[in-house]
Parts: sequence; C-alpha cells; structure tokens
Amino acid sequence: MQDRPSAIELLEAAADFVEGEIVTATQGRVQFQSRVVANVMRIVAREIRDEDRFARAELRALAALLGREVPHVHGLDDVRGAAAKLNEELSAKIRAGEADNDPLRGPALGAVREIVENKLRIANPRYLEADLAIRSERRE
Amino acid sequence: MQMEQREMVERLARFIGEQGGFDKVEIENLRRMAGGASREIWSFDATLKKGAEQSKRGLVLRRDPGAHKIDTNRRAEFLVLRAAFREGVPVPEVLWVSDDPEVLGAAFFIMERVEGETLARRLLRDAEYGQARAAMPAQLAEILARIHRIDPRKHQLDFLTAPVENAALSEVRRYEQNFRALALEPHPAFELAFRWLLGRIPKTPRRTLVHGDYRIGNVIFGPSGVRSILDWELAHLGDPMEDVGWMCVRAWRFGNDRMPVGGLGTREDFFAAYEKASGLPVDPEAARFWEVFGNLRWGIITISQARTHIDGFVKSVELASIGRRTAETELELLNLIE
Repeated sequence: MQDRPSAIELLEAAADFVEGEIVTATQGRVQFQSRVVANVMRIVAREIRDEDRFARAELRALAALLGREVPHVHGLDDVRGAAAKLNEELSAKIRAGEADNDPLRGPALGAVREIVENKLRIANPRYLEADLAIRSERRE
Repeated sequence: MQMEQREMVERLARFIGEQGGFDKVEIENLRRMAGGASREIWSFDATLKKGAEQSKRGLVLRRDPGAHKIDTNRRAEFLVLRAAFREGVPVPEVLWVSDDPEVLGAAFFIMERVEGETLARRLLRDAEYGQARAAMPAQLAEILARIHRIDPRKHQLDFLTAPVENAALSEVRRYEQNFRALALEPHPAFELAFRWLLGRIPKTPRRTLVHGDYRIGNVIFGPSGVRSILDWELAHLGDPMEDVGWMCVRAWRFGNDRMPVGGLGTREDFFAAYEKASGLPVDPEAARFWEVFGNLRWGIITISQARTHIDGFVKSVELASIGRRTAETELELLNLIE
C-alpha cells in the first residue's frame, strides 16, 4: 500500500508542472512535445481512475449484444482479455455482413458507440463533449 | 542515425556544392522544425558561391526519420513537387534529392523555404488571419482543381501508384490490408465502416493525379491565404474526389466542427468552388464516400503511427499519444454511417 499522494495526484502534479513551467519556458518543437507530454499524463490519470469501470461496462455491453452470459472474470487484465475476445467475435460477424441490417445493425451501432464514448472519456473528454453538443444542436 | 549537427552541416554543404556545382557553400541557422510526426523537417540558410557570384537562399530539408510502416519515397515526392511547380500550383521549388543513406543517414530532398504559418490552430483562431479564413476555402478548391488537371504522362509521373481496378475499391482494400496487419486490438467501429464503404463504391470515377494528403495542416498560409501546398509524399493516381473527401475529415477541423471543410467553410461552398474551377461536377454521394473513407484512413494512420513507436522504429511521445486518437475517428465514423 503506497502513501499519499496517489498515482493520480502525482501525475497531475507532474502534468501541472509541464504545462505551467516547461510549456511557457520553451517554444517550437520542444514546446509542442511538452504539451503532448502533459496531455499523455492526464490521459493516464483518467485511465487509472476509470478504466476498471469502463472495461467491465464494455464486457457487459458486448455480452448482451452477442447474447452471451457475462463471463466470470475478476482482475482488470482478465476483463480486458474477455472483452477483446467478444470484440473479435463481433468484428467477425460484421465482416460476414451480419450487421449490415437489423436486427443486429441498430444494437451493434449502439453498443459500439457506448464503448467508443467511454474510450474518449479517458483519451479526449473534450472531443466527446463537443461531439455531444453538436449532435444535440442538430436534433433541435 | 543520430548525427552531430556540425557533421550534418558539413555533409549538407558538400552535397549542395556537388549538386549545384558551387565553389563554396556556407550553411547557417540549421534547426529542426516543429511538426512532421512522420518526417523530419530542417530549416537552414545557405550562402552559395560560384565564381564571382554569391547568393543566399532560405532552404528546407525533408528527411526520413527511420524505417516506416507505410512506405514512402523521397524521390517520388520530389518529382511530383516539380511537376506541380511547373503547372503553376503554389508549392516550394524543389532543388536536389538523394536516396543515398550515406549522405545524411536517410533519403531526403532540399527545397526552397516558403515563409508563412502552418499551424492550423492559428489560422482558425488568430485575428490576423480573418481574411485568410474567408479566402481559403475557395483558394483551396481552385488549387485542387489545378492539381487534378496535371497530366501525369507529360511529367513522367506514370510510376505513381495507380489502381488496377476501381480506385475506391482498391483504396478500401489497401487500407483494410494495412488495418489487418497493424491493429493490435479489434475495432468493430472500423469493421462497420468497411462494410458501409464496400456497399457504396462510386461507379465511374475520373482518374487523375491525387495529392493524397490535402488538408489545411499541409498548407503554408499568410494573412491573405494560401502560399504553398506541402507534403506530396502520398500522391498517386486515382479518383480526384478522394482529395475532396479528405479535406472534409473531422480531424482537420481542430474543434471547429460547424465548418466541415478544414474548420473554415461548408461542404456546399467548397464543392461549388471546385466545380467552378474545374468545370466538372462534384457528386455529393461520392464526396461523402471519400469523407467516410478519409476518416477511416486517418484512424488507420493513427494505429500505424502508434505502432511506429511501439515497435521501436521511432521512439516518440507524439507518435505514442496518437495511438489514443483512434477513438476520435471511431466516433466520427459512427456519426457518419448511422
């Protein structure tokens, strides 16, 4: 058991320094790469916080879509492995044309969207927010 | 492949002296430029002496950084740039090319330096580019029409990759192969996009020179608009609508999503300007096909760039981080095909 600060707190402290001090003190390529570094640190912090929850949700969504029982898995690596298997199975069905039309097309698009949105909640939440805003504008 | 900067200056001076027949070449201000995740770009000033004549030129060196996933060819890019220059497309004048890794560690070519800005975010946000923002959609459409009019045979560009079947079908197949070879995880969103595309292959495309990477990130601009079109390494023969669709890919809008064409304008205005300049109609269905393909292609490139890092060809935090942008293209593809 590690002491505070937590992994997330350490990463955010480091990202704040890179953004606040290195980015402002540099220019050109090094400045650009420093922004990338800070962004990567924030991705990792969000992943530590949310990946377990998202990976389990992904496994449940894929199992429901493919009409399977949710596999009994415990550790995060096992969850990821089980989700990858179901993603491969779904991919094979799509390649075979089974999702060209309903009944599979609508639910497949829905499940894949949910999974992709969760990936973005870690990788680039601002991109997802902008997308949701534009889509709600279009619906109005 | 890392080389001391001083050694690079010496070798560059020797190369330019031999190629241009100069008595003496002095190189100053050699520096690596920002950008170019897949290509090294260096800027320098050269003083060139021949007899009693002396001139000073601002130059740019484009060099391969190392082994790569998607093969490119410096000499091909050099020849396409030269053809474009001769046909009045705004591009830097290319001067010398070398495929010999002994010279600078990797293939490279040297071209004139065009002054101006390349950061798309500046174009989209800064007050000084207001006029450029208004002018550029039409300028980009006119320049694109000019590129598509270049006769490949006249400029000996027949060596460029050309589709053996329908251009769209062969591009979809090519990128599907890349995807299957490179992806480390399954991507059902991409599988859905491939199925969508295969059901909508445009039937009778024109065949022209295609720039292959036509987007605002590859433009040098000034306050009044386009100064130069860069990055011709993916030029090939194919359906000109590929460039039109690529220009509309979401990643080049830099968040300005209400303006689908590079964050600058609407599809309708861009198509109309292209039609006016080329005298040829834009089929919106074909453009949409190529826009979907473009988003998918960019998604596969993000996987490829991440693999360039993961496999150790080029260790780079920028390439590594691009691997996490794949999900952005997955979301956009779902938006487009639903």
